[in-house]
Amino acid sequence: MMKGGIFILVLAALIAGFSCRNSGNTAKEFVFPEADTVPAGEAEKLSAEAIAEISRNISSPVEIANLLQLLEVPYSPEYLASSIDANKQETAFSKALTLGILGADLGYLNMYEKTGSSIDILSSIRKLAEGLRVGQFFDFETIKRLSLNKSNLDSLLFLSIDSYTKIDQYLRNDNRGQLSALMIIGVWTEAQYLATQVVRRYSDTRLKDRIGEQKIILNDLIMLASPYCSKDSQFTELCKDLQKVKEEYRDVKITYTLGEPVSIEKDGGLVIEQTETSVVEMTDEQLSGIINVTKIIRDRLISNN
Amino acid sequence: MKKHLAILVLLIATGILAAGQTTDPLVSNCLSTTGPNAKYLKDFRIQLGKAAGTNEFRYKAQMSLWKNTKYRFTMCNAENSEGKLILTIKDDANKQVLSSYDPKTGKTYPYVDFICNRSGIYQISFDFTDGQPGSGVGVVSMVK
Repeated sequence: MMKGGIFILVLAALIAGFSCRNSGNTAKEFVFPEADTVPAGEAEKLSAEAIAEISRNISSPVEIANLLQLLEVPYSPEYLASSIDANKQETAFSKALTLGILGADLGYLNMYEKTGSSIDILSSIRKLAEGLRVGQFFDFETIKRLSLNKSNLDSLLFLSIDSYTKIDQYLRNDNRGQLSALMIIGVWTEAQYLATQVVRRYSDTRLKDRIGEQKIILNDLIMLASPYCSKDSQFTELCKDLQKVKEEYRDVKITYTLGEPVSIEKDGGLVIEQTETSVVEMTDEQLSGIINVTKIIRDRLISNN
Repeated sequence: MKKHLAILVLLIATGILAAGQTTDPLVSNCLSTTGPNAKYLKDFRIQLGKAAGTNEFRYKAQMSLWKNTKYRFTMCNAENSEGKLILTIKDDANKQVLSSYDPKTGKTYPYVDFICNRSGIYQISFDFTDGQPGSGVGVVSMVK
């Protein structure tokens, strides 16, 4: 009876933690929730829906690449994790993480329509996906054909992103949620690396803001990994890395200004402009800390090549 | 021998099924309507029966939307859908920021462009007009 009561209490606390995770927004400032980790064992009981929501909320590398294009930042192969050798990824841990990193690189290449260069990355992705027994969800031949043809970028983006979504869903349904978490962390880390490396050369406020705003989803990322932090030494290290990133974000402030959306009808559709805004307050020192910690972590993640 | 044959048939059938996975035609068709400059981001596939008389939208999901991005939400309906797919988006303070349905005029918009100026996690909700049964897809793209 007592045990049952404690269990209900823990569960209620977990649910409350999830439903209130961004309640800071209503107070006009985003703050990290007080308790940002979930006890091992309990988190694995979180609903599949909650985990799916978290994975959906992680910023897409395609969105970062879209912003870079908007800022007219030229393409550079320097940012890619070209040193990765899929054959050297021996554990499921490194395969899943690398699959995520290469997924982000693929998104960057696709957005810049450097699709001819993506064939090597596609081959590595296929190898890694097959190594994790999820190769059936990656439509390699069609993606390769679309990449070489350079004919339909939207279909290429769809197939690439949809393949990753299916892999992610399958891993979670197949009780391999830890691999899904690794893949998502890999995607995020690589996209964050891309953004932070670019901002060193192109110091644009919009890009700085996007980097600062990652604070909004960072806790979700940590939540995704936390059930597995004590699983093995690799996971423990990764969780520590995420905490280091979080530490660099601690004093970054995100505030909100209020406003009502403005809408107009155009060409049979509706166009709505939000007048409410989010404002990032981040010093150069804070940004520098984020850039450094991201580089250290990302370089270490790809170092076994 | 028979057992081995059965396993072989099963393996071949599994292989064929895996290789034969195709994209949902509803999604493919919807993608072709998002516009020439739209870049695919996500999709939501929705299938709902008749609503039991509540005004709350029944399909709910969360999605992060980022400042300085123009998103296009395109709604497509299956041929046999009785209702039209409609969308509302609320911010994390539960304030509605957009709807593809105007209750005053009864008009539904096939797409909504949303110029996002406040980064955050939003609640995306879908349903069919008047709570009718239907199936459809909501495609989220980025546009310039």
